Amino acid sequence: MTYVVTDNCIKCKYMDCVEVCPVDCFYEGDNMLVIHPDECIDCGVCEPECPAEAIKPDTQGGLEKWLKLNAEYASKWPNISVKRDPPADAKEFDGVPDKFEKYFSPESGEGDG
Amino acid sequence: MTSITMDSFAQTREISEQAIRRLVDDFYTKVRTDPALGPVFDNAIGGDWDEHLATMRDFWSSVMLTSGRYKGNPVAVHRQVAGIELKLFERWLALFAETCRELFDDELAEAFNSRAQRIAESLKLAVFYRPDRPWPSSAA
Repeated sequence: MTYVVTDNCIKCKYMDCVEVCPVDCFYEGDNMLVIHPDECIDCGVCEPECPAEAIKPDTQGGLEKWLKLNAEYASKWPNISVKRDPPADAKEFDGVPDKFEKYFSPESGEGDG
Repeated sequence: MTSITMDSFAQTREISEQAIRRLVDDFYTKVRTDPALGPVFDNAIGGDWDEHLATMRDFWSSVMLTSGRYKGNPVAVHRQVAGIELKLFERWLALFAETCRELFDDELAEAFNSRAQRIAESLKLAVFYRPDRPWPSSAA
């Protein structure tokens, strides 16, 4: 049981979630975050913190693609537990449809560095 | 008179650091004397209950009040606990629910219990699930 980060995180990457996560299970890509499914304890603290409402419980249907993407990139991207400023244009991308197809980047983010 | 003082805390409706402290104190008093859970915990924490209770206050504060006070890896910690068994999770949840009922009103007790159940399920899967075995398993 885990939470997963979904489409609307892409290019928004607000990072409010990483500060409240008790188990530091967020990993940072170039323009989105993912949750490590083996580290998440399903506590649900992050879900209401996301201004983009991009974090969903995996018990919700239709998230298989995102569960797979979260698992894959959590093992490739660096861990992030300290929030930084979101992208300057985050708000403009909030709610834009099909962000994965248009903007997803497999590149790593900075992480806590 | 004593009962009035005790009752002043009972039926607490709001989540606060004070409520979490009382819950953790009362719950781990039960755990410590429980024949099944007590020895496993005592061994896992090296007998340092003060430190463990402080950690648990931080954990529940982070989960219920989003304070960010706890930072750790409970999955890794539970995988290393000697003597951990599936049935101990049920016992843990039963004592936790009992403590919540004693201290909080129904709504608040449910808020704590639903979180505890989800977290326990995740930890159980992390510790005991194997892709080549059926789940839920009674063999672990």
